[in-house]
Amino acid sequence: MTQTEIIQILSGFVGSIGFAILFNIRGKRLITAAIGGLLSWLLFVLISKGVSSEPIIYFIIACVISAYAEIMARVLKTPTTGFITTSLIPLIPGGSLYYTMVHAIEGDLNAFLPKAIYTMELASALALGIIVSTTFARVFNKLIMNKVKNKI
Amino acid sequence: MKKLIGYAMDIGEQMLISGAEVHRVEESISRICYALGAARVDVFIITSSMVVTVHTNDGNTYTQTRRVTSTNIDFEKLHHLNQLSREICEKKLTEQEIEKKLRDANNCKKFSLWFEFICYAVIAAAFTMFFGGDITEALISLFVGAIVRLSVYFFEKIISNKIFHKFFAAVVITLLAFMTVEFGWIANVDMVIIGNIMTLIPGIGLTNAIRDLFTGDSIAGLLRSIEAVIAALAIAAGYFLVAVLGGFVL
Repeated sequence: MTQTEIIQILSGFVGSIGFAILFNIRGKRLITAAIGGLLSWLLFVLISKGVSSEPIIYFIIACVISAYAEIMARVLKTPTTGFITTSLIPLIPGGSLYYTMVHAIEGDLNAFLPKAIYTMELASALALGIIVSTTFARVFNKLIMNKVKNKI
Repeated sequence: MKKLIGYAMDIGEQMLISGAEVHRVEESISRICYALGAARVDVFIITSSMVVTVHTNDGNTYTQTRRVTSTNIDFEKLHHLNQLSREICEKKLTEQEIEKKLRDANNCKKFSLWFEFICYAVIAAAFTMFFGGDITEALISLFVGAIVRLSVYFFEKIISNKIFHKFFAAVVITLLAFMTVEFGWIANVDMVIIGNIMTLIPGIGLTNAIRDLFTGDSIAGLLRSIEAVIAALAIAAGYFLVAVLGGFVL
């Protein structure tokens, strides 16, 4: 791991904790959310060694992190949304969103369009990952519920 | 029964305000109502309005609606409300118990205001580092973040429109960032602005929008998506205004 990567992992982690506190997540749940934030960029660094397409990496991480959020939410008996959001904060394409804006204001259409499309790609990859995990969680929930009902 | 539906609505309303997705609120309300002895429950919720109709076994129907205007994300409160709705479903609580627990949930612990300011500042600094800024830029971000939060705090008292808050925050961020460049403290505004914009991104709104859209609550999901898009446009507009009218770009 290079120095920049370590800085990114740590600062992403701090950012996640900051957001978790703003959302008033406390105690065990704060720790869970913070670990998610650490995990998300650690995964990015690790996966990016093997996969070059950023949207695909984003998709994989979004799947893994939302699955983690769903599981921890079941364990701690609390809603999932807070965990997903705080853990995925480092992946939010704030940088490319900003540069899209800058290119738009400069009227540089040739730079603006690819950047805008790329930002959309990253955001859609994130969304898709969350959807996959959420849907699977719903299906699992149904299966478990049915099993419990059959036992009774 | 009327009063009991009122409690269910209160719980649901507070859940929605604290940042729960629509699906969860609908499910909680209908479960609570069934647990309290309803024969049939029809719940319809979007982000800004709730309608609940309960049919009882003795042939009466009760309908209540609520208009939800504010959002105030608070997952501690949501956690307690969630526990409360579980408890109501699992064991019969009396009216007084429900009322007391609801009050407790509404008065749950919050972080103090100055701590919130520090959080904003730290988030801004952390993301400045994250996107490749150096220590000077991170430090400037730290102060800009604190100042922005402080000025938005006073701005909120004058105007209650949330879109304007984002717009105003973006204006202050851009102005301060370009000023520090004018003073020669940093060479480039990019990192400071990116770090601070991260604090404005409606993360919960977007996550909920996605989850609502794809669990069948399309109207609520669309509403939330549009809110997020408008928030992003407001941020961009704030940046444009300062950058162009201030003569910093072009």
